Amino acid sequence: MQHSFDVAVIGAGHAGCEAANATAKMGFRTLLLTINFNNIAFMPCNPSVGGPGKGNLVREVDALGGLIGRNTDLAHLQIRALNTNKGPAVRALRAQTDKQLYQRLMQNYLERQPLISIRQGEVIALDRIKDHWRLTLSTGVKYEVAAVVIATGTFLRGKVHIGQLSFPSGPQGQHPAIAFGEYLETLGVKFKRFKTGTPARVRRRSLNFAAMIEQPGDHLAYGFSHWVPWAPREPVSCWLTYTNEQTHEIIRKNLHLAPMYCGAITGIGTRYCPAIENKVVNFPHRERHQVFIEPEGLNTDEMYVAGLSSSLPEEIQDQFLRTVPGLEEVEIVRPGYAIEYDVIAPEQLSASLQIREWPGVFSAGQINGTSGYEEAAAQGIIAGINAGLYLKGESPFVLRRDEAYIGVLIDDLVTKENNEPYRIMTSRAEFRLSLRQENADLRLTDYAYRFKLISDEEYDRFQAKRQRILAKLSYLEQNQLLPDSKESRALQEITGITIQQKISLKQLLKMPAVKLSALWDVIAPEKGCLLEDEVVENYVKYEGYLEREAKMAARLRKMEEKKLPEDLDYMAVPNLSSEAREKLNKFRPATLGQAGRISGISPADLSTLLIWLTGSGR
Amino acid sequence: MKTTETIAAIATPPGEGGIGIIRISGDEALLVGTKILRHPSGKPIKSWPERKVRLGYVVSPDGERVDEVIFFYFKKNHSYTGEDVLEIQGHGGYQNLKKILTLVLKAGARLAEPGEFTKRAFLNGRIDLAQAEAVIDLIRARTDLAQQAAFKQLQGDLSQILKEQENSLMELLVPIEAALDFPEDEIPDLERARALEQIHEVRRALEQLLAQADRGILLRDAASVVIVGRPNVGKSSLLNQLLGEERAIVTPLPGTTRDFVSEIIDLEGVPVRLIDTAGIRPINDPVEKAGVEKARQLMAEADLIVVLFDAATPLTPEDQELIAFLQAKNPLVVLNKTDLPVKLQVETLQTAFPQAKIRFISALSGEGIQELKAEIRAELMGTAGREEQPVLVTKVRHKEALSEAIECLNLVEEGLAEAGSEDLLALNLRAALEALGKITGRSVSAEIIEEIFSQFCIGK
Repeated sequence: MQHSFDVAVIGAGHAGCEAANATAKMGFRTLLLTINFNNIAFMPCNPSVGGPGKGNLVREVDALGGLIGRNTDLAHLQIRALNTNKGPAVRALRAQTDKQLYQRLMQNYLERQPLISIRQGEVIALDRIKDHWRLTLSTGVKYEVAAVVIATGTFLRGKVHIGQLSFPSGPQGQHPAIAFGEYLETLGVKFKRFKTGTPARVRRRSLNFAAMIEQPGDHLAYGFSHWVPWAPREPVSCWLTYTNEQTHEIIRKNLHLAPMYCGAITGIGTRYCPAIENKVVNFPHRERHQVFIEPEGLNTDEMYVAGLSSSLPEEIQDQFLRTVPGLEEVEIVRPGYAIEYDVIAPEQLSASLQIREWPGVFSAGQINGTSGYEEAAAQGIIAGINAGLYLKGESPFVLRRDEAYIGVLIDDLVTKENNEPYRIMTSRAEFRLSLRQENADLRLTDYAYRFKLISDEEYDRFQAKRQRILAKLSYLEQNQLLPDSKESRALQEITGITIQQKISLKQLLKMPAVKLSALWDVIAPEKGCLLEDEVVENYVKYEGYLEREAKMAARLRKMEEKKLPEDLDYMAVPNLSSEAREKLNKFRPATLGQAGRISGISPADLSTLLIWLTGSGR
Repeated sequence: MKTTETIAAIATPPGEGGIGIIRISGDEALLVGTKILRHPSGKPIKSWPERKVRLGYVVSPDGERVDEVIFFYFKKNHSYTGEDVLEIQGHGGYQNLKKILTLVLKAGARLAEPGEFTKRAFLNGRIDLAQAEAVIDLIRARTDLAQQAAFKQLQGDLSQILKEQENSLMELLVPIEAALDFPEDEIPDLERARALEQIHEVRRALEQLLAQADRGILLRDAASVVIVGRPNVGKSSLLNQLLGEERAIVTPLPGTTRDFVSEIIDLEGVPVRLIDTAGIRPINDPVEKAGVEKARQLMAEADLIVVLFDAATPLTPEDQELIAFLQAKNPLVVLNKTDLPVKLQVETLQTAFPQAKIRFISALSGEGIQELKAEIRAELMGTAGREEQPVLVTKVRHKEALSEAIECLNLVEEGLAEAGSEDLLALNLRAALEALGKITGRSVSAEIIEEIFSQFCIGK
C-alpha cells in the first residue's frame, strides 16, 4: 500500500477534483480521498452549470487549466446564452448536464492522471507531526503528507431534514463525516452551521409535458472550454410550469411541519435559492412561482423540479406538486430535503485559502461557506495551486478583484461575514465590464502556464489566439475607409451609415450600429472568427469604460500594495472606531485594500490606519 | 478589550463668565467623576443616574473643596460623542476652571485635542461625515449666513436631501441589477421612459445644490477681494472705509508678506477677506520683487479684484501697466478722490475695461462707499435670489462629488434615451451613487444585494 504522498485532498466533489488536478499537474503526488468512490464529482442539486457570474467562474477556472468547463462541455444536454441583449459585461452561458455522464467523465479523467491516487475512505483525524500532517482514516490507515486540502462540502456533520424526520447524513443519502467535524472542533477550528436544500426528483413518465412550456436549448458556436473542441449536441429540452394559489395554500397550511419554521433547523439558508416555503411566506402577494422541469440525464427517468426546493414532509411535497400543471399525476423518485452542515468561520482563512494557524492546510468549497458547483471549483483550483506553491516554498497565488470573479469570490469570503451560503453575482464585482466571460483566457491563462496546469501545446494555441486578437486591433486602428469608396458604399447598405470623411475602422466600430462582422464582410471576409471577434469588438466599443475601470483598478492596487503587518494589534492604534478595531483584529487583513472591504470599516478608519502606519515607520 | 482613552477639556471659551463647563468623555468618565466629585454632604458619589442635574463639590485629592458645581452624566448611547460623558459646570473664570481641569487630568483623563469630541462622535457613528464637518464649520462660522449654512448641514439637511436622491437612484438600480443577475426570474422590465423622468429629477435636485455651492464655499472660506492700485491712490483709506464700523473678525493673516493687510469683514452676511496689495510694478529690491510675485498670485486666486485709480491725476505709466495686466481679469474699476477735480481720462479707462461699470468714490468723505459694498456683494453672490434656497454645500470636496454624480447621470440619461445596454446603465448609476457616497459616507454595493433579495423573489 502506497503511503507516501505530497498532498492529500479530502473530498472528491467539485472543489476536491480541481484541487487534486492542480497539485498533480504541478508535479506533486496527490492522494484524493472520497467517502464513496461511486460519487466523484457528484451533483447533489440541480443538473446545471453556469449563469451570470457563475458562468464567468467556469470560464476562469477553465482558463487556469481546471476541469469544470471541459467536463461540462462534454456532458452537456443543452446550453443557453443568457442576457444576450443586456451588454457584454453580463452575457453568460448556462448548460444543463447529464449528471451520470459528468461524474463518469470526471472520474475517468482523474484516473488517467499519473500522479493522482483516488481512494475511498473516511478521514477521522488530522494531526500535525512537526512540519507534516497525519491523516487517519476510520479503517485505521494513516497517511503523512506535507499539505492538505479540505473539501468536505456538506458532509461535515451533515444533518438532513425532511419534515419532522431528521438524521445525520451527507447529501442524497450518503454517509456523513461526523467524526472529522468533531475532531476539527477539538483542534480549535471555529464552525458555524449553514443550511441548503434541494427539491424532489420526479419520474419523467409521470409528467404531462403538454401542460408545460418547452424551453429548448440554443445552438451556440462555443461552450465553456478554451481547450476541448466544442461538440454541440441536439439540445434536450427543459420545461416551464407554474405554481398557483392552491399550491401556496397547501404549503401555508403545513408550515408548522417545515423544519425551518418549527425551529428544528438552526442553520442559515440562502436567499437566492430559497425553499418554496420561504417564497410563499416572504412574498405572499405573488400569485405564482416558476417551476422548471429539467432532465437529470439521458440514461435515467429522473427529472429535477427547479424552484420547488422543500423540506416539508414527503406526503406534503407530493400534495403540492400535484397542484402544478403537468404534475397532476406526479411520481416522486426522491423527496426534497434540507441539509445542515459545518462551515469554517471565515476569519480563520487567509486569502490563499489556507487555514491561518495551520501551515499547509487549505480549505475549499462549501466548507468555506459558499454554494454552487462553480464556486466550489473556483476555490478548489486556487487551494490546489496554493498547496502546490506551499510545497515549493513559493508565495501564494491570490487573484485580485479586478482580475477575476475568482478574486472577488475569495476576497469576499475572507473579508465579509456571510450570513448565508455565498453565491457569486455579477453585482458583487466592481470591475464587471473587465471581467467578461469571453476574455477569461486573456486574463488568466498566463498563470495557468506558469503553474504548468496546461500543456505547452495548449499554451501555444492560446498565444497564437492572443496574437491574432492584437493583430486585428492594430489592423482596425491603422486602416481607414474613404468616402465614396466601394467598401463604404457596401457598409452603408448594411448599416445605413454614410461615410462623410476618411475614418479609421476602429472609429467606425465604436458606432453602436456598426458590428465587427459587418466590417469584416465588407473589407476582409477571411478575418472573421466569432470568439476572437467578440473580444475585439468589446474592447473597441467599450474602450472608454474599460480604461476607467483600469484606472480604478490601479488605485485599488495601490491599496493592495500597502501590506498590514500580521501581528498588528489594532486595539493599540489610536483613533480607530471601536467597531473597526474589533473587525480588524478578527479578520486580520493582509493589505490596506482588504481592510477597506471589511464591512464596518470606514474610509476614515483607513486614513487613520494609513497615517498611523506611516508614522510608526512600518 | 482595551478601553479608549478618556479625554477632557474646558468646553466654554476662555474669559470671565457666570459658569464654565468641563466635558469628560470616555470609558473612565465616571471613574474620574468618582475621584473628584462629592455630595453636598461630603460623601462620595456612588450612583450615577443618567441625564439628571445634580449638585456637589469638586474636591482635591486631600479632600479640600475646590468649587461648588452642578454635574450630569450621559450614558454612551445617549451622549454626543457616543461614549460615557460627564459634564461639570463650575463657576466661570479661567483660573477656577483650570484648577478643576487639572484635577480631572490627575484623576486619569487626558487633555482633549481640538475637535476631538466631534471626531469621536464621528468615529463612534453618532454623526456622519457631512455632519462632522459641519460642526467644525459651525464653530468657526464668521457670519450669520455662514452659521446658518453650517447649522443646516449639521441638522443633516444636506444628508437628508442627498439620501432622498440616493434612494431614488437605488430604486432604479436594484431591479436592473436583479434582472442582470437572475435573468430567468420574473423581474419586471425596465420602464425606460419612467426611469428617464426619475433620473432627470435627481439630476435637477443635484444641480440645484451645485448651483448654490459656489456661494456656500464663499460663505465657509470667505471670499477674497484684492484691492490693487499704485501707491497713494488711497487703498488704505478705502480699506478703512470698508471696514468702517464692521468689526474685524480675524487678525492679519499669518504668512503674508509685510505689504499685505488682510482683514475679514461681514458684508451683509458674506464673509469677505479684503487684501491690500503693494502693487505689481517690478522693482529691483529682492524683497519687493517677492511682494510683487505674491500680489500677482493673490490676484490670480482672488474671487474679485477691485482696482483703484486716482481721479485727480492723469493716468501714470504705472496705472497703464496695471490696466494692461488686469485687462482680462474683469475687475471692479473704482475712481477715488472724487472730492477733488477730476483730471483722469475716464474714456481711456472705459475703453480698457469695456465691460466695467466705473464707480466713483471718495474714500476720504465716504461718498459712494455703501454703493461699492453693495456692488462687491452682488459680484460675489449674484444679485438674484438672495433669499431663495438655503445654501447647503459649502465645501469644494462636496462640490466635486456633486459634479461627478451629475456627469454620471448624464450618461445614464443618454443610455436610457438611446437604448443603451443595461450593464452600462448599472455601471453609471453605481458610479453616481458612489460619488454621492463621498459626501454621505453611504456605501451602496452591499446594500444593492440586500435590496435585490428583499424586493424580488429570486431562485429557481
